[in-house]
Amino acid sequence: FRRISAGEVGRKRWTPPGFSRCRGTSGAAIQLTANFFRIVSRPQWVLYQYHVDFKPPMEARRLRSALLFQHEEVLGSARSFDGAILFLPNRLHNKETVLHSETRNGEKVQITVTLTNELPPTSPVCIQFYNIIFRRILRILDMQQIGRNYYNPKDPLNIPQHRLTIWPGYTTTILGYESSIMLCTDVSHKVLRSETVLDFMSNLRQKCGNQRFPEICAKELVGLIVLTKYNNKTYRIDDIAWDHSPNNTFTRGDKDISFKNYYKTQYNLDITDGNQVLLVSHVKKAMGPSGGPPPGPAMLIPELCYLTGLTDKMRADYNIMRDLSTHTKLEPEQREGRLNRFISNIQTNTDAQVELDKWGLNFDKQLLHLTGRVLPAERIFQGPKSYDYNPRAADWSKEMRGVPLISSPVLESWLMLYTRRNSNEAQSLLQTLNRVSGPLGFRMQRAVMIEYEDHQESLLRALQQNVVVVLPSIRKDKYDSVKKYLCVDCPIPSQCVVSRTISKPQTLMTVATKIALQMACKMGGELWSVEIPLKQLMIVGIDCYHDTIAGKRSIGALVASLNQGMSRWFSKCVLQHKGQEIMDGLKMALSAALKAYLKFNNCLPSRIIVYRDGVGDGQLHSVVNYEVTQIKDSINSMGHDYMPKLSVVVVKKRISSRFFAHINGKVSNPPPGTIVDSEVTRPEWYDFYIVSQAVRSGSVSPTHYNVVYDTSGLKPDHMQRLTYKLCHMYFNWQGIIRVPAPCQYAHKLAFLVGQSIHREPGVKLDDLLFYL
Amino acid sequence: MDPVFSPPLHRQRHQFVIDFVKRNKPKKVVDLGCSECNLLQKLKFHREIELLVGVDINGANIKKKMHGLAPMSTDYLQPSFDQLRIELYQGSVTQEDARLRGFDLVTSIELIEHLPLADVERFSKVVFGYMTPVAVIVSTPNFEFNHLFHQPAGFRHSDHKFEWTRAEFKSWALKVCLEYGYAVEFTGVGQAPPGQQERVGFCSQIGVFRRLEGRQNGNMSFGDDAEDVFQYTLLYSINYPSLHNNNILQRVLVSEVLYWAEKMKRNWIEEKTGERDDTYALCRAEWEGEECLGASEQHMEMEDKQTAACGAEMKNPGEHQESELFWTNGERQQESLRLHRCVSVPLAVLWSCCPKLSALSGSLSNLRHILMNDPEVKLSHDGSAVLLNDQEQDLEEEEEDHDDLEDSGYPICSHSVETEEDWEKNV
Repeated sequence: FRRISAGEVGRKRWTPPGFSRCRGTSGAAIQLTANFFRIVSRPQWVLYQYHVDFKPPMEARRLRSALLFQHEEVLGSARSFDGAILFLPNRLHNKETVLHSETRNGEKVQITVTLTNELPPTSPVCIQFYNIIFRRILRILDMQQIGRNYYNPKDPLNIPQHRLTIWPGYTTTILGYESSIMLCTDVSHKVLRSETVLDFMSNLRQKCGNQRFPEICAKELVGLIVLTKYNNKTYRIDDIAWDHSPNNTFTRGDKDISFKNYYKTQYNLDITDGNQVLLVSHVKKAMGPSGGPPPGPAMLIPELCYLTGLTDKMRADYNIMRDLSTHTKLEPEQREGRLNRFISNIQTNTDAQVELDKWGLNFDKQLLHLTGRVLPAERIFQGPKSYDYNPRAADWSKEMRGVPLISSPVLESWLMLYTRRNSNEAQSLLQTLNRVSGPLGFRMQRAVMIEYEDHQESLLRALQQNVVVVLPSIRKDKYDSVKKYLCVDCPIPSQCVVSRTISKPQTLMTVATKIALQMACKMGGELWSVEIPLKQLMIVGIDCYHDTIAGKRSIGALVASLNQGMSRWFSKCVLQHKGQEIMDGLKMALSAALKAYLKFNNCLPSRIIVYRDGVGDGQLHSVVNYEVTQIKDSINSMGHDYMPKLSVVVVKKRISSRFFAHINGKVSNPPPGTIVDSEVTRPEWYDFYIVSQAVRSGSVSPTHYNVVYDTSGLKPDHMQRLTYKLCHMYFNWQGIIRVPAPCQYAHKLAFLVGQSIHREPGVKLDDLLFYL
Repeated sequence: MDPVFSPPLHRQRHQFVIDFVKRNKPKKVVDLGCSECNLLQKLKFHREIELLVGVDINGANIKKKMHGLAPMSTDYLQPSFDQLRIELYQGSVTQEDARLRGFDLVTSIELIEHLPLADVERFSKVVFGYMTPVAVIVSTPNFEFNHLFHQPAGFRHSDHKFEWTRAEFKSWALKVCLEYGYAVEFTGVGQAPPGQQERVGFCSQIGVFRRLEGRQNGNMSFGDDAEDVFQYTLLYSINYPSLHNNNILQRVLVSEVLYWAEKMKRNWIEEKTGERDDTYALCRAEWEGEECLGASEQHMEMEDKQTAACGAEMKNPGEHQESELFWTNGERQQESLRLHRCVSVPLAVLWSCCPKLSALSGSLSNLRHILMNDPEVKLSHDGSAVLLNDQEQDLEEEEEDHDDLEDSGYPICSHSVETEEDWEKNV
């Protein structure tokens, strides 16, 4: 994929080779290693591409291969043939080679092999080719492919209480990076179930009863990936065929056969439960190369399928996630060790080496070494004071104690609702809130205390005005109805608290402080700020939430800054309609944000920087081509002479790049503020990595920033530092976070609407961070 | 027009072998001339087979798809007691290899016609005289059928050294039987068009040989080590996961025990506190630490805090009348002044409510023995019950950790941001 429009960013266009204009300068140099291994090939290595012609023409691909490969003495053993194009690591004597083969029926076939291309190692075809060969290598190492990654099933970690099995493995991709072609590999863990889908379904039916079962079952299963007992393919469950059973038949060849008989005769698999419903998977690929009609959906037998991955419910279950993370969290040293072992396994496996040698390829024995920079820590401004934080911990919850906020509204009239069971907790929460809000400069009037019966209607009846609700337990339905009412029907800021959170007297002060801060920013309070050396700047964050269950609707959220200190934000959420791009709705949201900025500042921003999160690998192209145009349209609609500077940055959290610092001979995480903008960046992009957050355990993940559009003229160094500064501005966390604050705000908003409200929140709330 | 077979002939030949395997349930099977392992690929689903071997003279052909014979991901997820080992060798069927003796079934599908006649003699000697399997299936083209193919006279494939008539095949087979003590039945696959079956026979003729009892005594004992020859090259071997492997058995058993024990613990806690653990509730609290932030995530538990006095013994009501789950000894830890609590689940109760446990371990004492050696399971002193931690305790520990960590004493760096900086000027 190459960059687009009118030469605005394309760094390669105006950069002499070897010198990158996209690098920053500030900060202290730090030596790092990265989870990349260089691919080393013989000097002057090229891949030879041949066109293969059959006379008379041969239809079947298999037959073509069989006929061609009768000539191993000419072609050699290293070859790759897709039916028409042949790749060889070496050059045949002549440009055109004529071979003669014979079919089983004795038919003579003339094969002409013509050299059409010599591909340099960096050509896209070669890169694809490396990936294919690498997959072969992983297979040779007895790794199991699941989805795109490879795992080792021989050494599983079990989490019995949830019937989960974890296989350690690796993600691998080979790509052309700044200076060389590299393998990027990270440790990956595959979560699998040690029970069949049928077991899972009957357990679920037992738990939730026959009546609710179909709905809940579909919610749980649709979207999950299954493995089958009879092949190594993965299927996505798209639907459940409630009216089907293994006794249903399908047409195979010219006969009808029942699923039950098919699996028995084909794979000797017995289906014991003849009444189970079937799973439906819409297989994407069309069958043969002959262009036949695409096959219908695959029908899968629950008894023969195993679930992989986690359900949303499990992801939300703290116990499961904690158990998982104790198994999968790797300290930097462990992670680096595993990666090194992986490469050395490849180096020491003879079969793997033979395969690589055939093609004249190999890998560096060491992780890539590179130099990063650590940006200086920011100074936090809060009300009348400013302070520094411990740069290693990247957290200032302690420093901010007792310091008044920049500004906070007065909480005039508000209610606190609680059940009888929680009345003690509610009372002590109220007292503690009063105690902690004083030093913060947050003035709170006395709350009206209302006791409610622990069911939904009574709770809703009790709701009016600014509210704190103490929920006895975390029940999604209850939370959802409260939030729906208070965001849509009667839009006022609200705060829910689970009784368990406030049940421990020894932590109540800390908890109440956090609640008070959260309440303050929900009402438009400003907690702290950092120095932003750009004037008339509007920062925009965009994120999406994809609701896979309810009609597959996507929700887009846009959050835009309103003031210099990046402490006031305008938020808008749009629900995507069928067949519509998410940006169509967000275009309106951006116009609204610009108007709000105008109202707030009496001028429009002269500079807009958009951080776009939630972009999948496959969507990057459409973001660049489509969304940027939409954003520009939206800006143009403000007036002909309005021409602000614009940058669009795609933010990516889920990446497999990792960096390790070597500090005092110990492998550790790079400190917060570490920037990497060389070696592992892409030659055709203006991109960089920032490690902004600190983690207490495990390995930190960097965030990738890709500036896809830029008319700002801002130096890369300033772009990087501004991005890092914005990671300090998320008010729900007294520390540095992984992404710029507007992205996190947008994420929170989209999540709340997608999970709980399912409708656009009231406009009254637009300039409040009500969704925190 | 040439006869067209449905299903295709090669598939019919494989199906013939599979049907034979289903009827006779051989434990050790070798496919001679396995080529790209297509037949083995099908046979591996027949888990009566415990040792499945392929031999081919062309190692490159074997290697092409041999990794497809590896167990599938799901084979690891719920291992059974079935055992399967697959081995692939590069070697010639005219040479002996001691690793191929004593099989229940040898298949030689469309192989012998590729051998010069002299080698067919050696093949007979190696297979019937040396390997001496219980049964042998040999298939080869029937020359008489060729008249139905509308093509110039000759063999079906350029590499065929011969194609036999039914009489020729029969004479070879009977000679083999006489010499090595086998009985043979003739059949085939690929029916001729109606009315011609009698005249031309099957397209592929098949001989099914069975060793006659009592003849092969000397050869069967393999006692003579001096004679053992290993002329084949092992290209690939893999053991399928099986519960006969002690490590796997232990892992599965421990998982099963912990699953049920945890489940009973949860039920008990629910009943005791009257709080339903609503599994459809999202575990989420509003001000809870943002998951993505990584640092000190704060999470809330759903259940209310337990205030039960330690050591309180409780009957577990409901279906498991005999079970006695109780909070065990509240052993005070001086440093933390916290009670160390755990839930005890008697093995006997687990045994009675999870039938899989007896299928896996055979006896309660065996189960206890296996669990005692496992580091993941904590048993009571007398080994009669599984002890599980009360998870809430863990939570509190974690929360205390937070506080400790806040004071981790990094040197406070003096800040170095120039307070008045204007990037615009730099543009």
